[in-house]
Amino acid sequence: MKKILTIARWEYIEKVRTKTFIISMFVTPAILLLFALAPTWFSRNAEESTRAYGIIDSSGIYFRPMRNNLEEVQLKNGQPKYVIVNLFNQSENFTDIKKSADDDVIKNKLEGYILIMNGGSDKIRVEFRNRGSGSFDDIGKFEEIFNKVKNKLLLQKAGVDSTVISSAMKYVNVNPIKIEENGKESKADFLTLFFSSFIFIMLLMMMVLSTGNMLVRSLLEEKSNRLIEILVSSCTQKQLLAGKVIALSGLGFTQIFIWGLLGLVSAGTALVPLNVFDNILPLLVYFILGYVFYVSIFVGIGSICSTEQEAQQFTSYISIILTMPVIFSISAIEYPGSLLVRVLSYIPFTTASVMMLRVKVETIPVWEFLTTILIMIISIYFTILFSSKLFKIGILSYGKRPSMKELIRWVREK
Amino acid sequence: MICLGDLINESMLTAENLIKEYKDLRAVDNVSFTVVPGRIFGLIGPNGAGKTTTIRTILNIIRPTSGRILFNGGPINENFFNIIGYLPEERGLYKKSKVIDVILYFAELKNMERKEAVNEADKWLKKLDIKVYRNKKIEELSKGNQQKVQFITAIIHNPKLLVFDEPFGGFDPINQQLIREIIISFAADGKTIILCTHQMDTAEKLCADILLINKGKEVYSGSLVSIKKKFGTNTVKIMFEGDGSFISSLPFVVKTEKLNSHLEVTLKDDMLPKDFLKEIMPLISITHFSVVEPTLDKIFIDAIRGNQ
Repeated sequence: MKKILTIARWEYIEKVRTKTFIISMFVTPAILLLFALAPTWFSRNAEESTRAYGIIDSSGIYFRPMRNNLEEVQLKNGQPKYVIVNLFNQSENFTDIKKSADDDVIKNKLEGYILIMNGGSDKIRVEFRNRGSGSFDDIGKFEEIFNKVKNKLLLQKAGVDSTVISSAMKYVNVNPIKIEENGKESKADFLTLFFSSFIFIMLLMMMVLSTGNMLVRSLLEEKSNRLIEILVSSCTQKQLLAGKVIALSGLGFTQIFIWGLLGLVSAGTALVPLNVFDNILPLLVYFILGYVFYVSIFVGIGSICSTEQEAQQFTSYISIILTMPVIFSISAIEYPGSLLVRVLSYIPFTTASVMMLRVKVETIPVWEFLTTILIMIISIYFTILFSSKLFKIGILSYGKRPSMKELIRWVREK
Repeated sequence: MICLGDLINESMLTAENLIKEYKDLRAVDNVSFTVVPGRIFGLIGPNGAGKTTTIRTILNIIRPTSGRILFNGGPINENFFNIIGYLPEERGLYKKSKVIDVILYFAELKNMERKEAVNEADKWLKKLDIKVYRNKKIEELSKGNQQKVQFITAIIHNPKLLVFDEPFGGFDPINQQLIREIIISFAADGKTIILCTHQMDTAEKLCADILLINKGKEVYSGSLVSIKKKFGTNTVKIMFEGDGSFISSLPFVVKTEKLNSHLEVTLKDDMLPKDFLKEIMPLISITHFSVVEPTLDKIFIDAIRGNQ
């Protein structure tokens, strides 16, 4: 035991001091925050000014009410969001009007314009013509207001009472509410849910990769200068493996601890929404289980590598497996109960990340908690067993990478 | 009181019919030997002879395909880890770490108490004249000084069994002398020492017993004295004043060879050099007389060639 601790202490202290570790500790969350915040920040900034849009309405019946309605939409600072220009002119040819409007848009004189064709008939068609594909927000607003105006005109034409019209025109939102077993309910917002669970998967991934990389690198160093021979003539391979795994877990916990502190300090500020810390306990459990699982894989397979290139290749395989849950995460948020998501919860490679997602978006029954945690613990036990066999022989084999056949023989060997 | 007999039994190392096979190669082929405490045991052979593989099996780093190693009458297992000191041929330490930290890490891995380890580390750093580098990073040291640090990590815990694989490689003559003296003093302390080398002059200066292997097989095994006797010819070297032409016609002389300043005389096997000296002393004025021993180098080359 004393030797295990000696090894663990050495590995921990030597690695915690390295620049790579210190940098990854602070840079990782910084990058994540940047990714999470940049899009909203940019779109928010873009919204800060009033923009000019045109309308070409050959029928002439929609322009005025459209402009009135659109110019009522305000920015956060109270200024109007849209300024609407009439581009239609009776005396000009329709094709020419369209052509000069397109020109204005391309030359950046206009942000874009709404083209209304066959107005007043059932063949009505509306286009929003602009340089890009149009912001979701704007198109949504145009659609909402156009339909409102169109329907109102139709109802008025049919002689419906104005009070009926105004109540019929009232737009009703459908609010997503997340309900839980204990009767708790909360406002569900796809984006915040996505980011608050996504952030943990990304943290897990980066942590596994950075510490795993450090481990493989130091194993490579020990192998290439035969330090490993001195080590295994001083302690058993099991003690060496145990010491290394303990040290790595220690590194992981140090990171979690510091990130936790950073998170708490910034919690509730604009940077980190408070709901990131909802369900923190099960999140931590899955995070730690996932981390230990991947680290024990790293130790085993990492010990086989004898060159830098092999190590890199191997690390990239692991990162693909680690990012897989991200691909499924959208579907997990939209349809928490889907079969795919459930199946992935029981595959040890994805259990940790998928469960971290599910904890955030749905209420998980206790039995599912218990079975997934049990699966993780059993898998960790077996990966450690498997890794220690690879490790035992891997650390003493130099040069050529062992073939699959040889690896199987190693694992079977007593 | 411990008598010498006990000491010998206590830390004698024996290898019995050692075989190590790899997929298509028998790296060690039925090798047996005994290492006696206090007598440096030289494991010699050309590159790729199987020296390092033999060492690895001795140190329990790899398991032999068959055969066994006994130390102190029992197999080498983890109970022996703390009394083994090993200096591998390929050197290298944790480059980014401090000299003292690395030494203390290995000392503690050998179950030394930290306080004792610090004292011993300082003692050895001073003895090897690298005390000024105590708190420097390994990578800041010259190659020779890094080797000294590694030497300290191998011996700091005062091990009973020492295995040195090419311990002098990379050292200048002055430091080679320093390390040699330390190794000799370990032998005088009754430690069990295996010295693995292909430098024959080194082996000749240090080893009392020799195992010469080639292609995994034993070529010769025995004491240095007996190996020299076996491979040596009964030859003396003389320098003299006067006419020595009669020597070649003496009945107990096989042949003579005139070299620039001296004469090499090969005697019949039953003629002792001292008797030969007595015979010729009255006839010429002798300024130099010595027995010519074959160098281990020559024996090595002859033996390996004869073996091929």
